[in-house]
Amino acid sequence: MASLIQNAQWEVTRLRRSRRIWLFLIPIVAGPTGSAIADLYLGVNSAGTAEVLGLLILAGLSSLVVLDLTALAVGEDLALRTHYLTFALPQSRGAALAGRLAVVVTGGLASYGMGAVGVAGLANALITTSSTAPAPILMPAHLALGIVGLLIFLGGVTAAAGIVTRSASQALVAGVLAGVVSAGIGSMLLVEGQLTPLFPGVLAAVGLMGFVWCLLQYGWIES
Amino acid sequence: MPSEVLRVDRVWKRFGELEALRDVTFSLRGGESVGYLGPNGAGKTTTLKLLAGLSRPTQGSVRVQGFDPVQDRTRALRRLGALVETPGVPSYLRGSDLLEYVARVKGVPAGERRSAVRRGAEAMNVAEHVGRPFGSLSTGLARRMLLAAALVGEPEVLLLDEPTLGLDPAARHDLRIVLRNLAREGLTLLLSTHLIEDVQEVCGRVLFLRNGVLVGDEPVNLESSAGAGGARRVVRVRFASDITVESLARAAGNEIDVTIDEPRTGTLRFAGGDVEQAAVLDRVVRAGLPLVSAAAPEPELARRYLERVGREDVP
Repeated sequence: MASLIQNAQWEVTRLRRSRRIWLFLIPIVAGPTGSAIADLYLGVNSAGTAEVLGLLILAGLSSLVVLDLTALAVGEDLALRTHYLTFALPQSRGAALAGRLAVVVTGGLASYGMGAVGVAGLANALITTSSTAPAPILMPAHLALGIVGLLIFLGGVTAAAGIVTRSASQALVAGVLAGVVSAGIGSMLLVEGQLTPLFPGVLAAVGLMGFVWCLLQYGWIES
Repeated sequence: MPSEVLRVDRVWKRFGELEALRDVTFSLRGGESVGYLGPNGAGKTTTLKLLAGLSRPTQGSVRVQGFDPVQDRTRALRRLGALVETPGVPSYLRGSDLLEYVARVKGVPAGERRSAVRRGAEAMNVAEHVGRPFGSLSTGLARRMLLAAALVGEPEVLLLDEPTLGLDPAARHDLRIVLRNLAREGLTLLLSTHLIEDVQEVCGRVLFLRNGVLVGDEPVNLESSAGAGGARRVVRVRFASDITVESLARAAGNEIDVTIDEPRTGTLRFAGGDVEQAAVLDRVVRAGLPLVSAAAPEPELARRYLERVGREDVP
């Protein structure tokens, strides 16, 4: 537990020094703002549809933040060989990485959560639902929860890819590809009317497995 | 502290077909300073990686203060400082960030962290640079900052891999002094290096490694170790004209061991230090011998390095 906390603090220091900590603001600010502008520009006539549109925009922004920070948390040290220094310290390697990932993943999810609240608030404040407006293609609350599954999936895949490639940039590419594939499968299921809560649930489970595999493998890396 | 602080016991390390270490066995007692010499690819860094918990032996066992550095990392590495190869540090991090992180992980209490960081930085003469990002440090300064990180938390065991790499002559000199002082204070040091001067100036014992096999384990200074009742001084003297062993022995004094290596060059061996050397040379000059120069002989360790390891990659 001590290693976890020490490395969570270490990650906060790194985020602060690199100024990557500002990335957490993007979903919170740009998500609701961007979606509100899109709603007004497109003349969306339903608050529910506006929420769905905003959540999809927010999902894209949050995914990039989670992907980027997870890839760097796992791959940056391995690429730079900083691990020659940190692996020789008296701590569990897995716990050390878990502490760092905890900050970026929970930070990314929290940022998404705040953005989602902002999206819902602005959609309901700016858009009046017309009596002729069609129902939104997805329940906004369901979509909001489903995106959490997507974010966990992308984080897990990226973390695992960071171990395999030992590179933040290549892990990021792997995460983006995984995002494209999952979005494609989700769209296909939606069009076929088969999109159920099982899909984000499976994504979340795969993502968690990716994180667990990453933490286990991190302890066995031979320098 | 156990008598054996580091132990490498019948260790083999294979990377596929390549045998990086072959049946290597040695140990270091508390307070020993040991040089680890060998050419590129001999297996020095591999050995240090095993001791620092960065890698596992294929066969055999490694112990640091009695603990396996992979299975029991926390206890094995608690009092160990290590700098293996050249780790990179993200350019945005400051020296103080790294040193404080190391102090925290090594269990330095919060109230003592600042002073622990300061001591490490001062030891490597980088105290005024700790607030700078790594990206703004020169190669030598960054190297010294990494060495400072290895010294944080007052380690009892220090593993250093080519520590003087990238350092200017002054910094190299300073580092040797720091290491000598730490050794005097009881720190156990394993120093892997290409530079014989590093070992000569810092270490009391040397291990020679060639192609993954330990081919020598002996004192650094055989002359000193052979002397009874204190250090022995060896001085190579050169004259303007030919001299005989009798004339030189008569001039230097009865207690001085004299040999003539070439017609105008001889070697004086005697117990003592600078004061005794000055007195001996004074007698030689007063006896009328045309003394031109007096100096330490060619490093004897270099000769032994060549004997044990061969001419490949002569430092």
